[in-house]
Amino acid sequence: MPGMGPAFFRGNPGPDDPPNRREDGALLFLRLVKATYKRLRMDGFFSRSDRAERALPGREAATREPFKEESLMQQKNSAWRTFYEALASVKLSVFLFLLLAVCSILGTLLPQGLSVEELQHRYKPSVVWWMETLSLHDLYHSGWFQILLVLLCVNLLVCSIQRFPKTLKLLQTRDDPVDPAKLLKFGSSFEITTRLPWREAQARLEGIIPGELAPLRLAPGKNGFAAVAEKGRWSPLMVYGVHFSVLLILSGALIGSFFGFKGMMNIPEGQLSDEVLLYQRRQSLLLPFQVRCDDFDVSLYDTGAPKEYRSDLVILDEGKEALRQTIRVNDPLTYRGVTFYQASYGLILKSADVELTDKETGKTYTLSLPYREMVRIPGTQDQIEAIQFQQNFSRFGPAVGIVLLREGQTEPMGSWILVKMPEFHGNRVQNYQVKITKTEEGYYTGLQVKQDPGVWIVYAGFILLLAGIGITFYTRHRKLWIWADAGGPESSPVRIVVAGRTNKNAVTFEEEFKHLCGRLQLELATGSGDEGTKR
Amino acid sequence: MINSSILLSITTFAYLFCAVFYLAGVVFRHNPLLRVGSLVGLGTLGIQTAGIVLRWVESYQIGYGHAPLSNLYESLVFAAWAIMLIYLVLEHRSKHRVLGIFPALFAFLAMAYASFSTQVDSRIQPLVPALKSNWLIAHVIACFLGYAGFAVATGISILYLVRKSRAANPHPRGILAALPEPRQLDELNYQMVLFGFLWLSIGIITGSVWANSAWGTYWSWDPKETWSLITWLVYAALLHARSMQGWRGRRVAWLSLLGFGCVLFTYFGVNFLLSGLHSYATK
Repeated sequence: MPGMGPAFFRGNPGPDDPPNRREDGALLFLRLVKATYKRLRMDGFFSRSDRAERALPGREAATREPFKEESLMQQKNSAWRTFYEALASVKLSVFLFLLLAVCSILGTLLPQGLSVEELQHRYKPSVVWWMETLSLHDLYHSGWFQILLVLLCVNLLVCSIQRFPKTLKLLQTRDDPVDPAKLLKFGSSFEITTRLPWREAQARLEGIIPGELAPLRLAPGKNGFAAVAEKGRWSPLMVYGVHFSVLLILSGALIGSFFGFKGMMNIPEGQLSDEVLLYQRRQSLLLPFQVRCDDFDVSLYDTGAPKEYRSDLVILDEGKEALRQTIRVNDPLTYRGVTFYQASYGLILKSADVELTDKETGKTYTLSLPYREMVRIPGTQDQIEAIQFQQNFSRFGPAVGIVLLREGQTEPMGSWILVKMPEFHGNRVQNYQVKITKTEEGYYTGLQVKQDPGVWIVYAGFILLLAGIGITFYTRHRKLWIWADAGGPESSPVRIVVAGRTNKNAVTFEEEFKHLCGRLQLELATGSGDEGTKR
Repeated sequence: MINSSILLSITTFAYLFCAVFYLAGVVFRHNPLLRVGSLVGLGTLGIQTAGIVLRWVESYQIGYGHAPLSNLYESLVFAAWAIMLIYLVLEHRSKHRVLGIFPALFAFLAMAYASFSTQVDSRIQPLVPALKSNWLIAHVIACFLGYAGFAVATGISILYLVRKSRAANPHPRGILAALPEPRQLDELNYQMVLFGFLWLSIGIITGSVWANSAWGTYWSWDPKETWSLITWLVYAALLHARSMQGWRGRRVAWLSLLGFGCVLFTYFGVNFLLSGLHSYATK
């Protein structure tokens, strides 16, 4: 995995990525957006009227009153109404979905998370100005992107509020008034007359419909009956579940960003810490307990590819050992709501053996310097400390940063000492020539630390989202209305009208309806003179 | 000795035959050819299933021991498998055999790319630490069922646009007559898109939960994540656009194609052009 060093899964565009390709991509992209916009405008996509919405069962387009400009009050009202209807339109939803998609694409074409210095290094000042003004270098966290998300939420909420009562009413109607003339105007309707005796016809009807769809709910009339049979009544409601779940997910994310934190902790083996460096505010946070890393280990496959990263952690609460756990990638530790993830690792200096030659006296001292600990040079008042370590210092190999506090000085002074080049004349701190004879290195473990009280709300949203889409996919609302007239004793035959409606998969429903009509005709229309008409 | 790579090589060519039979069945409007196409498709799916299972077993024999869903090669093989599985179920239910042209072609292309491209390494490799999780199987299966659903929907959309290209003629002759009614195609497209949308959602959510349990963030705007969200948004737009008048039909078919473009970019484009969390997928 090139470019996937110790920070083995945090991916920002690397410094090696050619910026030109990205710029060209962005340009091409902008052109595409412009062309699409022109096309959509020609198609009247942005026009105000929203009569386009289909009148589906449970989703009837709102009836609109014509504009009247009689008084200021009314004008105000109608302006508000127009605004509200715009917010409640499906057209706005589609537009926002596509706009969010387009903006997200922009964010993947431009490098994200760069500092201002890096931006200035890569782009012309004019480009940098645009990127900074529009926060294009941190697009997904920019104000305008979040306004789009809020707008989507408002659209979703208003849409649902406007339509939900209608859907509910549609589903609650248990005893629909059934009018044969209206039924025959349905897309799927069927009329049949039969000379069968009324009781026989009714019995057959009540035998067939439950087998085809669902049991009949009868409402006896004066002469005959009206009935309804339906299945999947909850299907049209699932859309609201899905909409609510999106709101849940976004509000969970909001709660997490307000009341949680996310940061890094680097702990050398054998040491403890309670300081978390936060990602966002570039400050640190002190945990109410301490974390100690007893051991860190990397194991490799025979191929040399990494197999496992592992840290043995101990939590110390008020000085006492509270928890001892080994963490791996994919296997974190949680203590008092704070979770620690194996995120990276690195090498750190444990101690360095040095040979010091005092240029003034010619004396030579041999010392062992534990990392970041002041050591007095024997026989003098000078103190020395190894305070920094780099594995590859300006391509000269490992180097140790050493500072010296001479007698009488208030500030220590130091420099980088190259380990692999002991004779280098710059290996010098004040009056001492320094030669590093041995370094002992150890690992530090890089932990990602986070607390997110909103995550359970997000998860609840996930479950609701999947349940909603799943049920929407696997169920549908189908409803049959049946009206039957028992006819007269001799003169007129039994007359039956059947009509059906569905909330989706109309073609499949038509097939089913045709099948039902076929069966009714076969089983009811026995004897001559009977006829069925399918519309 | 039969091994997984032999079985998967047979699969590659068999899908080509399958696609040719479907195409010939439509071009010559000869139903038996279409039936042969279905049978070849079903048989090949069986061989491929055996190949995938065998590869799983082999990875345990080598000592790596993981499900064959861990790199580009294995995901392409699984994509072809999922496309054919979903298509054959759809065919069984809808009884429209002519829909098989594109799924069979896509399955063949995926297998051919996996087998012949120099970019794709077909060896069984050990899992990197980041992938060692039970979420891997759920996440990959869900994503690819989604992608496969969208692939089948794309095939249907292409047929819809072809069928509608001579809109003035309600009773077309020739090849067009072999295709189902536009209304039926539109509805099948919608069903497949909704199926894909369900599985893509499951895929994104399992990935998100996995990321949270492994790295502590359920969403980090990594390019792969972002592109899967873009795909999700485009298909969400499609599902909503269907309820606007004038959008059902041709425009929904075009949106379906646009959505599949996003799927392809999420799958290939992100791997090769953008860097991020999913970089192991390029190997």
